[in-house]
Amino acid sequence: MPKKNKIYWFEGVTEKGVKALLNDENSKFRWLRPQRNRRVLVILMALGLILTSLGSYWPTLKTNLNLSAEVGIIVYSVTAIFVILAMVGCYSFLRIAVRSIADAPDELLDERQIAVRNTSFRYAYFILSYILMGLMVLMMFGPELQMFQPEGEDGSYVVIAALFACAAAPSMVMAWREKDI
Amino acid sequence: MLHNMSRNPEEPVYNRIEEVRSALGLSRQALANIVGVHYQTIGYLEREEYSPSLVLALRISKALDQEVSALFSLTPIKKGK
Repeated sequence: MPKKNKIYWFEGVTEKGVKALLNDENSKFRWLRPQRNRRVLVILMALGLILTSLGSYWPTLKTNLNLSAEVGIIVYSVTAIFVILAMVGCYSFLRIAVRSIADAPDELLDERQIAVRNTSFRYAYFILSYILMGLMVLMMFGPELQMFQPEGEDGSYVVIAALFACAAAPSMVMAWREKDI
Repeated sequence: MLHNMSRNPEEPVYNRIEEVRSALGLSRQALANIVGVHYQTIGYLEREEYSPSLVLALRISKALDQEVSALFSLTPIKKGK
């Protein structure tokens, strides 16, 4: 009888999924391994996060760019679809690029991988602290944000970007810093 | 530095893992399977970019049939000796 695939709900990974990535079972993702390619992914992810948070300031940006209502909707829609797809794609590829080490529980990793994961979380924590500090400054001095409002600046984009950043930051740090993964 | 995963970068742990492993005809993957780590961890150990825990050092010594003191050292080891 085949062994049951254990699901780690808290970490959002499965035993078979992590083991498959750790053991190079799928060779079609080898192109993600070189550090240069991983760094490109991290840059794309960071750009996606910045663009998502800028969604909160769209009404101000639209006014500043002197866009008509029709052009504004087209630019907004195309950008939103592109950014959403890019974010989801980059996040998935990032997890694959770091073999899910950033999300895996201790029992699926060896002692070096646990040390690498823990170090990445430590750096990610500091980076996120600075990002949150930057967001606080933006909210203090930028246009006033409201949550889930049909009119005016909608702060939910900033919150979504911050949540995405929390989920992706350890993988981003690991993908950027690790020589071999 | 993350790349230098030594527990104490001031005092790295040198080893003869690669030399002994090669002499025994073991691949990195085979040794990794025996001691229960990822094959890349064996690479990191052989390049002396990671210092193992005592448990892992003991497991590797057992797998390579060596004394811990013969395999690991706090002073640079002349390879091939």
